[in-house]
Amino acid sequence: MHQILVIAWREITRLRKRFGGASPIAVFLLLAALGLSAFALRSSVSLGNGLYRVAVSGDVPTIQDSRFSVSSIDPAQGKTLLEQHAIDVWVNGAQVQARGDDQSLFAVKALKQDLEALELARIGASYADETAFPLRVGINYLAPQNVQGTAPPAKPEEIIIPSLTPPPAPFIQVLVGMLYIIPITFISIFFTTSFMDEKVNRRLTILLSAPITPFQIIFGKMLPYAIFALGTTVLIAIQTHADVLLALAIFAPTILFIFAIYLMVPLLYRTFKDTTFIAMLVTTLTTAYLVFPAMFTNTNDLAYISPLALAVKMYRNEPFGWREYLFPSLPMAAIFGLAMYAGTRMLNEEFLMGYRPITRKITDAIYLMMAHIRPSLSVPLWSLMVIPGVYMAQVVFLAFATNLPLRIMLGVVLVASALVEEVVKSIGIVVLAEHGKVRSIRHLLGLAFLSALGFLVGEKLLLLVSLSVVSDAPVAGALFGAGVFLLIPLFAHFAFTSIVTFLRTKVKIPYALALAAGALVHSLYNWYVMNGGLR
Amino acid sequence: MTPFLAVIKKELQSVIRDRTILIAVLIQLFIASFSSGLLLGVLSLYDPDTIMQSGSVQIRIGLVGPAGNPLEALMREVGLRVTPYATLAEAQTAFYGNKVNAIILIPTDVGVSGSTSEIKLYLPSSDAASSLIRMVIQAPFKQYENILRAQNGIEVRYKDLKGKPSTSFEFIYSVLLPMLMFFPAFVAGSMSIDMLTEEVENNTLQTLLSAPLTVNSMIGAKIVSAVILAALQCIAWLALMQLNGIAIQNVGWILLLAVVVAGLTSTSAMLAAVFLKDRERSQFIYSLALLVVTSIGTLLDISPIKTISRLGIGDTYTGGWDVAMFALFLAALCLVLMKVSRRVMG
Repeated sequence: MHQILVIAWREITRLRKRFGGASPIAVFLLLAALGLSAFALRSSVSLGNGLYRVAVSGDVPTIQDSRFSVSSIDPAQGKTLLEQHAIDVWVNGAQVQARGDDQSLFAVKALKQDLEALELARIGASYADETAFPLRVGINYLAPQNVQGTAPPAKPEEIIIPSLTPPPAPFIQVLVGMLYIIPITFISIFFTTSFMDEKVNRRLTILLSAPITPFQIIFGKMLPYAIFALGTTVLIAIQTHADVLLALAIFAPTILFIFAIYLMVPLLYRTFKDTTFIAMLVTTLTTAYLVFPAMFTNTNDLAYISPLALAVKMYRNEPFGWREYLFPSLPMAAIFGLAMYAGTRMLNEEFLMGYRPITRKITDAIYLMMAHIRPSLSVPLWSLMVIPGVYMAQVVFLAFATNLPLRIMLGVVLVASALVEEVVKSIGIVVLAEHGKVRSIRHLLGLAFLSALGFLVGEKLLLLVSLSVVSDAPVAGALFGAGVFLLIPLFAHFAFTSIVTFLRTKVKIPYALALAAGALVHSLYNWYVMNGGLR
Repeated sequence: MTPFLAVIKKELQSVIRDRTILIAVLIQLFIASFSSGLLLGVLSLYDPDTIMQSGSVQIRIGLVGPAGNPLEALMREVGLRVTPYATLAEAQTAFYGNKVNAIILIPTDVGVSGSTSEIKLYLPSSDAASSLIRMVIQAPFKQYENILRAQNGIEVRYKDLKGKPSTSFEFIYSVLLPMLMFFPAFVAGSMSIDMLTEEVENNTLQTLLSAPLTVNSMIGAKIVSAVILAALQCIAWLALMQLNGIAIQNVGWILLLAVVVAGLTSTSAMLAAVFLKDRERSQFIYSLALLVVTSIGTLLDISPIKTISRLGIGDTYTGGWDVAMFALFLAALCLVLMKVSRRVMG
């Protein structure tokens, strides 16, 4: 523990030295940047900035929407300008004139929201409330069927005025949720850079020869940044009047997840350009993974794959249970654990300094993780441990594919997930075989069986959490293999893995082809299962 | 001139050899294609017209109340199925028998002028279903409110505007197009920093400068290779968008603007790298400066994002002159960089 603290302190000193000279200016710049961008975003957060041109004449309320460029014109010119495509809409007093083409009709639709709101403001200001807003709607929720009749209402009655109460939409809360993610990403980039810096300066080599473990190095270097990240989470929670402890509980696994991913960047890069590209890639992937699902909060249960969905719930004061909490958090924490383990194995000089193709580098990393215990133990453990990653990938496929037509969607998801599963089950064995650790066919088949076993055990564990949350997604059952007893899938997974590893190591065909063959058989099996073949 | 080209060739070759950029671009392609579809899906979820147009959703409302209430016709107009029931108990039986998804109760004294009317809406307790119904039923409620206002003698203007749902149009031209055109520019800036600081930190800069090559042409070559990569990506994105049937006007100007912006980001990034000479601080200052400049640009209303969306839809008042203005910025920035780099590094 002491060693970890020493490294953490050393990290802070390093950071202070790096930014020491410019710190007041940097801090000022940072604050100015944040303030400015928040201010700029406030005025132009809407979609379609400056897309439409509107001309007004006569008594028209002032349109203050960044989508419209508004100009006042003489009523005589209106028709001509409209026909010349110089403007999209002409608001002449209470009249709205448009052309028949798409651009003009889009503009009318966009203008409708604005004008309605402005009209409401006018009415609200010039009449008494009862006459201006004469309708009240009391919203009640009916409890589910099993308690019908005598059941008390699920929630207390909520009384709304339709024109003043917009229907619920999570966008605002998703944006607030993103506020938490941005500083975490920024901080983790610093963490990455610190590692790179040590690598370039060869100081990591010295550190590695000291009597401390790689785990202590990684953890010690991560500690200050993790504390910064937690600190910003607390700050944002206070600023946005959220429950601090709840916010920490929601975002701590996310912080670990983002750090885990950014830990891989300095370990795998070869040149500076690499880091930029990998970091870009990681940023897009994590943002897509965290933000998009949260937009479906309350419309699709799959939204819970993102912790932001929990944040949305938190900001709406809606309760959520342990299952909803564990559904996104558990896989993220597991990925962090896996990444930490991988990091400690990869943190050796030979691996860090070598320049090899990126695919080679990744397989080397996997070999390093597997080779230090017996294959009969490391292979099933590997299959078990990567389950959260597989599961995240599959849920992402599912989420992405939901906007395809149903038939194509099923096909795409089944094939893609079969491919991912085959990769994780076979890669360990293939890598071991390449280093001469697996020779006989019997050994190969034995490992394939263990890999399938590890995978299946992990899958069933995960099932306990996931299926209870994702109830209405039709494909989830087929993906996670619900309702099928265990021996057949075990044998099936064993068969697929054997096909891939055998084709690769004994027939010596390229890995991609071997994988395609295994995945093809696997997806045919999935298809069969999904059509009720095993009932 | 030849050493200049040699540096460009070296940088581009190293990018191709590393292969990470190819992977990065491919995965971005995957994400962009799906996430734009996904985002559109999400946006349309919040647009009741689109929900009802798609026809995949069938919402049935049980109505309890006096016959001939205008709300009934208004709900039918947006595509809701309305079934009248005599009492609330009957409607609830229908609700639990899955015959209706929600119930509306209109009391008999509704619509008396001068007083507020209160109707009741009974929704299923499932979040997903109830928020969908509330979204769709919003428009009939508002129209009904307008009818009640008219009874109170209040005339509401602009209430019959129709138009076409504009979310996907706005998304494509104001988010997707600028994102695809300017993201490569952002990467080009980061890459410029990488190319220079790598030479500095690996101590290869002096060797490079001992070749018949001035500081400015070395830096220029690195910027040019970053911009070439950005331009190639933009061309690919534009071609892909056209293939997907997205009509884009002024393609030439758009590409030129994207290249100019890539030049702006690379030059300013290089400026940071020339001053600071290490990757960590340069990247940080560069990202920060980009954020500040974008914000100031938005505030002053000279944003290339707006220009590119307007070029994309073929706005009458936007054309080559707007691009020329940004090119002017670029020229000025290049001059500054040349002066600075000669003094700092030469």
